[in-house]
Amino acid sequence: MVDSSYTRSPWARVRAIWGARRIFLLLVRRDLKVRYANSVLGYVWTVLDPLLMSLVYWAVFTMLFARDVPGDDPYIVFLLAGMLPWQWFNSTVSQSAKALRSSSRLIRSTNLPREIWVLRVVASNAVEYLFALPVLAGFLIAFQVPLHWNMLYTLPLAFVIMAVLLCGIGLALSVLTVLVPDLNRVVAIFLRLFFYASPVLYSTTRLPEEIRWVYVANPVSDILQLFRSGIFPHYLNWLHVGYAAAVSVVVLALGWWIFARLERTVLKEL
Amino acid sequence: MSEPIISVQDVSVRFHRSRRHRSIRDLVFRGQGGVRAGEFWGLRHISFDVQPGEAIGVVGRNGQGKSTLLKTIAGVLIPDEGRAVVNGGVAPLIEITGGFVGDLTVRDNIYLAAGLHGMSKKQIAASFDEIVEFAEIEDFVDTPYKHLSSGMKVRVAFSVVSRLNEPIMLVDEVLAVGDRAFRDKCFERIDEMLSEGRTLFMVSHSEANLTRFCTRGLYLREGQLVHDGPIAEVVEKYFSESGDEAALRRRHERRMRRMRRRGLLGDEDDDEDDEDDDTDGLRSVV
Repeated sequence: MVDSSYTRSPWARVRAIWGARRIFLLLVRRDLKVRYANSVLGYVWTVLDPLLMSLVYWAVFTMLFARDVPGDDPYIVFLLAGMLPWQWFNSTVSQSAKALRSSSRLIRSTNLPREIWVLRVVASNAVEYLFALPVLAGFLIAFQVPLHWNMLYTLPLAFVIMAVLLCGIGLALSVLTVLVPDLNRVVAIFLRLFFYASPVLYSTTRLPEEIRWVYVANPVSDILQLFRSGIFPHYLNWLHVGYAAAVSVVVLALGWWIFARLERTVLKEL
Repeated sequence: MSEPIISVQDVSVRFHRSRRHRSIRDLVFRGQGGVRAGEFWGLRHISFDVQPGEAIGVVGRNGQGKSTLLKTIAGVLIPDEGRAVVNGGVAPLIEITGGFVGDLTVRDNIYLAAGLHGMSKKQIAASFDEIVEFAEIEDFVDTPYKHLSSGMKVRVAFSVVSRLNEPIMLVDEVLAVGDRAFRDKCFERIDEMLSEGRTLFMVSHSEANLTRFCTRGLYLREGQLVHDGPIAEVVEKYFSESGDEAALRRRHERRMRRMRRRGLLGDEDDDEDDEDDDTDGLRSVV
């Protein structure tokens, strides 16, 4: 039954999304299929892309600045452990900013809970992240880096917090960019800024004390540290994890609220 | 009478005339409210019920709210006031090629599009051959969708959407596409679906199509439902009000000019022929 009145309770929205889960999975599968359908190397790119990117940074920092490599040893492992989740974050944010516009024809022809168009972006990029993990595993084996047992829960936890945060950002951005297209450019610049303001390339332990609070306050930074703590356990700080989790939940609630408020206006614009 | 399958209750939809809209802050924090400067009602206080099995034709000139009404029923537009309650799935023959991806093959696309509209894998597999046969694309099943001709694309899309097992069909002028032979096939398919007891909701300007398929008509003018009755009566009223062809065209063109000017300038009603150089439309309306 379709009741297209404006006021839908959050609970009704959750139920509607749950009801469309099969279609949601179909969409995620389609995204991956489309991504691989057109390139010769297909899946290899999922692995190759972060690998090459990390190799570039690895080359820069271990060869040009050989005296002072900014992360833990082995640096390439440190780099990949941060780069893979960062890529997930980066591509999800930039894609979800365009999520509604790019699937506008589908949105106009199917009556699905509109959140799905954002959630699918988060999900398909999450799958890409998981697909790319073998690269990291390969380096772990090659360098014989010991894993810490806490990886069993830190990695899934980091994964969940990241997903929650991304859903929140994505939901808000997807509607806002339809109404204010200029935001797309702002998002691109912010992502660049965030890349350097998050400890992807370097470790926060090397930073001067005075500015460390910036990194603690940045939830992405805390999440990246958590992603790394299965390999470098000294990064694990439960206080920071708790903070990142709380911020993510708030962002999700806020993002969803904005989405719900603007949904009706956005549908007319598409 | 039984429970209505579609119940539209006092539905209103507001649109913007100019490109500029209210500020985000306004939208987030205020939301509701009447029509402001630069806005108009695309639909206003529309109410009607539809019983299962009825075939309804919607008439009205361009821009009078027909498609908006269809979209509201399809659930792809949320009314600003009132509600549209639809008891059952809808097969929307609106923007039918929307679910198709150019890079994937026709086969993949059929599975995806049908899946998006809620068919299960098994159901699709069962009617796959039927879909392909109806669209007459047996030789292109493994061709990327983007390589099909535009007519073929529509054929595939129509045969997928018309195969959906939904009790309600929404048809928005899709029948204008495709060659004559295929159009006849589409008509047969619609007849077939009607005889299965499905509910039809159709927008058309063609008197022939309207009287062929529909039993009841809705006449929309300036977003209002001005007549709801047997199709013959509604069509009669619509065409008589539209006048003879010359008058119709003249009036239409004048209207278009006025709309255009309103859209750009936001002026209400003086009749000079300024051209479109004022871009800051919203401010000039009070």
